[in-house]
Amino acid sequence: MLGPDAIRPLLRAALRHAGAADADIYVAATEQALTRFANNRIHQNVSHQDAVAHIRVADSGRVGRAVTNNFAPAGLTDAVRQAAEHARLMPADPDFPGIPEPRPAAAIDACDADTLACDPERRAAIVGMICRKAAAAQLDGAGFCRTGVTELAVASTRGADAYHAGTFASLLITARRDDASGWAKDGGVSLAAIDAESLADEAVGKAVRGQNPQPLAPGEYPVVLEHYAVGDVLEALSFYGMGAQMVQDGRSWMNDVIGQPAMSPLVSIWDDGTDAGGWPAPFDAEGVPRQRVDIVTDGVALGPVHNSCTAGKDGVASTGHQRGATGGPAATNLFMRPGDRTAEQLIAGVKRGLYITRFYYTRLAHSRGCVMTGMTRDGTFLIENGELTMPVKNLRFTQGYVDALSGCRALSAATHLNLNEAAVAVRAPAALLDSWRFTGQTV
Amino acid sequence: MDAVIATALDTARQRGAQYADVRLVSNREERIVVRNGVVETLSADESVGLGIRALYNGSWGFASTRAITAGAADHAAGQAVQIARASARHNGAGKPAADLLGPAASSRGRYQTPIDIDPFGVSLDDKLALLLAADAGMASVPQISARMANLVFIREERAFANTDGAMVNQTIYEAGGGIQATAVGDGEIQRRSYPQSHGRQQGCAGWEYILAMDLPGNAARTAAEAAELLTAPSCPSDTATDLIIDGSQLALQIHESCGHAVELDRALGDEAAFAGTSFLTPDLLGNFRYGSEQVNISADSISPTGLGTFGWDDEGIAAQATDIIRSGRFVGYLMSREAAARLGMPSNGCTRASSWNRIPLIRMTNVSLQPGDWTLDNLIADTDDGIYLETNRSWSIDDRRYNFQFGTEVGREIRKGKLGRLLRNCTYTGITPQFWQSCDAVCGPQEWRLWGTPRCGKGQPGQIAHTSHGASPARFRQVRVGVLR
Repeated sequence: MLGPDAIRPLLRAALRHAGAADADIYVAATEQALTRFANNRIHQNVSHQDAVAHIRVADSGRVGRAVTNNFAPAGLTDAVRQAAEHARLMPADPDFPGIPEPRPAAAIDACDADTLACDPERRAAIVGMICRKAAAAQLDGAGFCRTGVTELAVASTRGADAYHAGTFASLLITARRDDASGWAKDGGVSLAAIDAESLADEAVGKAVRGQNPQPLAPGEYPVVLEHYAVGDVLEALSFYGMGAQMVQDGRSWMNDVIGQPAMSPLVSIWDDGTDAGGWPAPFDAEGVPRQRVDIVTDGVALGPVHNSCTAGKDGVASTGHQRGATGGPAATNLFMRPGDRTAEQLIAGVKRGLYITRFYYTRLAHSRGCVMTGMTRDGTFLIENGELTMPVKNLRFTQGYVDALSGCRALSAATHLNLNEAAVAVRAPAALLDSWRFTGQTV
Repeated sequence: MDAVIATALDTARQRGAQYADVRLVSNREERIVVRNGVVETLSADESVGLGIRALYNGSWGFASTRAITAGAADHAAGQAVQIARASARHNGAGKPAADLLGPAASSRGRYQTPIDIDPFGVSLDDKLALLLAADAGMASVPQISARMANLVFIREERAFANTDGAMVNQTIYEAGGGIQATAVGDGEIQRRSYPQSHGRQQGCAGWEYILAMDLPGNAARTAAEAAELLTAPSCPSDTATDLIIDGSQLALQIHESCGHAVELDRALGDEAAFAGTSFLTPDLLGNFRYGSEQVNISADSISPTGLGTFGWDDEGIAAQATDIIRSGRFVGYLMSREAAARLGMPSNGCTRASSWNRIPLIRMTNVSLQPGDWTLDNLIADTDDGIYLETNRSWSIDDRRYNFQFGTEVGREIRKGKLGRLLRNCTYTGITPQFWQSCDAVCGPQEWRLWGTPRCGKGQPGQIAHTSHGASPARFRQVRVGVLR
């Protein structure tokens, strides 16, 4: 780790070279170790670290940028000068609101010392346990165990001086044989909080149950989505429309429905970067404190998240959602309100439908309604008369995610954090939806 | 630099590594993005670091550092061996390096991307002027709600050395550019891109590559097509028809349904938890009918302007060309040293890492459909009833690379051998070998070009590779279209 005592003086010194212009520096530093396994053996085992400083210099509405991973004083200084030179060459941006004024962000303790200290032997031991369980069931285990820490810092000539460190740990398991597979994944701030044995049992159990999957005619079926699949739905809704830049461009699924009932009244979705139930980060890449933003409440679409630029255009305050140094704002700490059912009760509510563990390779097919296509993967089962009856070959779907959530009939009381490798965190329940449109099937 | 690399290799040997390799990479990137008339991004990025991979008792470890000093290299090498030892304790005794990796790679030399005009020598004024002119061209169409024009230039210095004795230095240049216009109206949203979608067309080339695109000269036409799509009829729904697919869309079809499917690490299960496996398992090599007689697909790292073009891969294997599909039969994989050795074959040089802090993986080079002998005009004239599809809009394929679905930005009706109306929201879907077996005509060299795909994701931790695919328009019989409604 670099640590705040090392980062802060470096950034302050570098900012002095911005001259009379305003400037800010956003630092994202990551140390990550990842033990990857397949065919019940460790085949890749890596440790990497990098620290990247994103420099922005703003001079009378003209904005230049530079990026460097050279944290020697001369490296940062050169990058600040480069950004200043770029700013001088730029035309003025009439919509640029200026470098944000500093606002204090909540301090969040998200650094777990035990996770930080994890060594390759400990990761290998966890992987070893998983591989033994898979082999005992005559399955091939694959996946990864990763640990690490991300440090974020923002300093500006306006006085911003923010620092945060958060550890992360994830365990992903696929167990497979022939044409069946099972999946389990968990992640968060702490490695010790992950129940590796239970996850291994979950993946192995699903693969065993999934043997000899049968074809099923494409069509519209009620579905029970595990929290993994619900997480995918929320990620897509975020990526394709919860940021204000997409709304301002007219490219969001929200454009036609803001202020209106768009989903079932059971559906409430919000973003909160300060909630310890997610993977918290208290400020964004502009150093603006992350605000809780209610995006959908009781099925009504309320509005997107903002950075300082989109907020300026809409005449509102930034909600602290600038993700990375460039590009628009994004909701990356999502929560979906749970319901009151158990997973078994969700399944029991279906006469004939499908149980979906997760989706794979989901991509936008049309912006309106966030129509997505993708495949089911790692555990797809037919539900008949409220019970899982047989495994089904993976199906392709083409489905509007907004429409799908308009048919949300019930949600589980339990929620689960889905933390992906791009640091997008979604805490979601399992869901029972009236209809999901399957448009094809694989071999 | 040589001393730093030597230190890393020496430390790895001293700590007991059977084999080790080191990459020292210095990457410089310039990105310029104009959105809606405003220069949103003008950025100069640099990233420098060293990665070392060590093999101990048949198991791997990898570590990296952004500090280019002998001390940091020594520490990273020690860490890589420590990690490899932890892997080995779990895996048990492994093979000797020669059995695991096959023939030694001891290349020595220097390579540089051939370019006419160094893009880093072109003034920012010229680059901005080009983008702003393209933006203004798109702005001339009133229905356009969002406009984007961008340029990317990369210069990467790569030094590679291994304990087999290899020592190669490469300078790779890339240039990319593109425009995108989004039209909104009548409850619809439609997009057109030029020269292709996903932001830009990119190649290993210099500034001359950008000038040849003529972004300003194509801006108004691109925007007008986006606007025209707002009121165009929809793609026929859920029916089978003949398709002629343009080169840029076919490039992504090749990428997803052939390129990934012939990565040997996938076929052997190494990517099972993430990217998936492949239906093209080793027992099918040489005896599986993947496509029709018209389908010839190769992988090469030597084609001019290809993003998969280099002097040596990241294991020190020299650039080369390999047949993948020959007259419809599956005959070759993309391979690393280790994966190839498992089949008793030598590597064909397809191993690359996206950065100094990532391990080399099997990646596509330039995986291309070889040209046939039709002209596009003759192919359209020979098609009684069908659709001509252009420019990718969406893409998805299953984890064994069987079931795919693509959407394109635009379709054009073909009726009695002539192009007709524009069609919007076109999609097509199929099963990979059935689809390629339905190919009955491929256009010739005059319509063949390399298309860049600079965003190919694979691996954990994730890596983004830059690959290219050569293609000319080709015809596919009775493909299912129109799954949107």
